Amino acid sequence: MVKKLTLLLSALIFSMAVLAADNHYVLGVDGLACPFCAYGIEKRLNKIEGVTDVQVDVGESVVRVALQEGKTLTDERARQAVDEAGFTLRSYSQAEGETGDGNEQ
Amino acid sequence: MAMNSSRRPASLMALVGSLQLMGGTMAQAAPNTFNTALPVAQGQSIWREQLVLRERSDDGPMDREVSVQALGSVLGYGVTSKLAVFGMVPYFFNKDLDVTMPIRPMGRIERDNSGFGDLSLFGRYTLYKKDFTGSTFRVAPVFGLTAPTGDHNDSDRFGELPRPLQVGDGAWDGFGGVVTTYQSLQYQLDGQLLYRENGRHDGFARGDETRFDASLQYRIWPRSMKGVSGTPAFVYALLESNLVHRERDELGSGTDADSGGTQWLLAPGLQYVTRRWIVEGTVQLPVAEDPHGDAIEDDYIVRVGFRRNF
Repeated sequence: MVKKLTLLLSALIFSMAVLAADNHYVLGVDGLACPFCAYGIEKRLNKIEGVTDVQVDVGESVVRVALQEGKTLTDERARQAVDEAGFTLRSYSQAEGETGDGNEQ
Repeated sequence: MAMNSSRRPASLMALVGSLQLMGGTMAQAAPNTFNTALPVAQGQSIWREQLVLRERSDDGPMDREVSVQALGSVLGYGVTSKLAVFGMVPYFFNKDLDVTMPIRPMGRIERDNSGFGDLSLFGRYTLYKKDFTGSTFRVAPVFGLTAPTGDHNDSDRFGELPRPLQVGDGAWDGFGGVVTTYQSLQYQLDGQLLYRENGRHDGFARGDETRFDASLQYRIWPRSMKGVSGTPAFVYALLESNLVHRERDELGSGTDADSGGTQWLLAPGLQYVTRRWIVEGTVQLPVAEDPHGDAIEDDYIVRVGFRRNF
């Protein structure tokens, strides 16, 4: 009984630790081709609650977004932010090694 | 001897008849001498300052020389991802005319003026866009108006200054056109067709203007994007072309025969672009000019400035 409780507690602690980790997403963005334009995407994504960091890679046409623990970025919300910046969301995925159901499009 | 606008010979009007500075070309974004169709994000603002030094002259007996030093200030805002609005106002440090008068004992005289010019407000709407990975193509109509906010009745010791030497023209002007842009990581092409209808005030109207502008920007640094991550600064080499036709100015019930015409300018330049700043400079040089009558012609126009987004 004690062994079962210990295992259950360990699993619970592990799950909480995973949930507490920052969530990272990788967005493929079409139409992005200069540094000055990148700021608009940063600005729109930074308005999303829980976003802690936005890194734009102009050469790869991808944007990496980090959210604080417990916060998530949905495909729909990411698409809206990219649209508001004047660009087109090509792909959406949660970064490798993180929790969640990545949805490469 | 005092001289006022009502007694001024038509030739003197022609001296400064094409003294125009920026029109709607100071606006925003990529090219240095005209507009672009690249987006302004919703809620994003762009601030731009551009210093313009313009020299004009002719080889006629009056040896006319016109010099303009001005600062164009632009503020742009993204209402939505498709609609951006802009306001632009020039400040003229100096609008100066040197001319040799044929009437003795006046000889060579200098007339100048300074102050804030007319405010332009305009909007740009992205009508069509096609985004690709690492490139984009966009088409955007532009419409706006210029309000008579600048003084248009300044005087000097010779009397009231000629209308084109005033910092404002006293009239409401309207302009509209379309701008198209193709941008890739390596280069950018812009084209603009714009018509400007100048209003009439107190018996004078600047000639209406039609212009076709084109621009090529080519990234010269980093030379390759291989192995370059993040958002590096770019340096572009620019070559811009401005083909401008202006009708004759309207004077009273007629037109000024020595005003307006057609000119083609080429502008090489450089642009340093980061994610928050653009620093840029070009020199517009006349390649071909076909002025009406004795209308004065451009020698060169220098444009240097910066843009900042926030």
